Amino acid sequence: MDVQEATAEGAASADNGEVKRDGKKQFSMGPQDVLEGKLIYDGSVHADGRLEGEVRVTGNIDVANGAQVKALLEGSNVTLKGNVEGMVTARDKLTLGRNARLSGDIQVRRLQIDDGATLNGNVRMGDFEQQASGQ
Amino acid sequence: MTLSSRRPASRQPTAVPEEHATNGQRNSISLGPNDRLVGELYIEGDLRVSGTVEGNLEATGDIEIAGGGKVNGDVTAYNRLTVDSDASLIAGDVRVARLTVADGATFSGKVSMGKPAKKAPERTAAPAPEPIPEPVVEPVAVAVEPAPVAAAEPVAVNPAKTIRPAPNKKSFQKGKRR
Repeated sequence: MDVQEATAEGAASADNGEVKRDGKKQFSMGPQDVLEGKLIYDGSVHADGRLEGEVRVTGNIDVANGAQVKALLEGSNVTLKGNVEGMVTARDKLTLGRNARLSGDIQVRRLQIDDGATLNGNVRMGDFEQQASGQ
Repeated sequence: MTLSSRRPASRQPTAVPEEHATNGQRNSISLGPNDRLVGELYIEGDLRVSGTVEGNLEATGDIEIAGGGKVNGDVTAYNRLTVDSDASLIAGDVRVARLTVADGATFSGKVSMGKPAKKAPERTAAPAPEPIPEPVVEPVAVAVEPAPVAAAEPVAVNPAKTIRPAPNKKSFQKGKRR
């Protein structure tokens, strides 16, 4: 089981992630991976396995089905299919898949909740106060 | 005859089949695009809102906000709440068993899903009144005790609460001694 203690900031090296062919970086976790800490990343994150702490990215975040996340999440498009505990900010759109379970407040511009998803928390839609801190 | 027969009929609850939750014959209300409701609505059945609602809604079945419907108020659906892409729900509290929000919908509020969410507040609210009757009873018991103590203690209601039972027991013990 990999334990990645990552605090990547700004133009982070791609040590922990992959560089996609289209040039956009993606930090990708597998179902056995564990990430504890704070990740600020110029790219997208695919979260799986166990994730605890804080993740702020310029791109998208998607949390895989079966993943256990206890973290503050902030990204452009955030797609949740696993279990998430913590505040979620989607600068564009937040999608809760049918297997998603989210406990935490959310701030979004657009919101889609599929039938079967579970949400407990405060929903705010519209302007962003905390956007500056994430970038 | 007509008056006497009308009144009991109006008092009777809305005729809802007992199996309304499972068969297709649910009681339902539909508010059209030009309809408007200001106030509070409880319905044993389903509700479809295409108009404007300002107030709280509670339905034992499903609530669907669609067709440009706008709801401004708390929403409780024992089963499912659906907010379509062209609809808007600005709520304080949203209590539902199942929730579907379409992309494009306007949605904000505090969402509680799951069964315990509904009864929990009532139970937490209940203990609050309890400390009040206790001080009322105590002065009666204290009347046997020295009066000055009774006059001083009721001001500090909650802190004295845990200490109270001891003096009361003492008073009973004193009663036995007599």
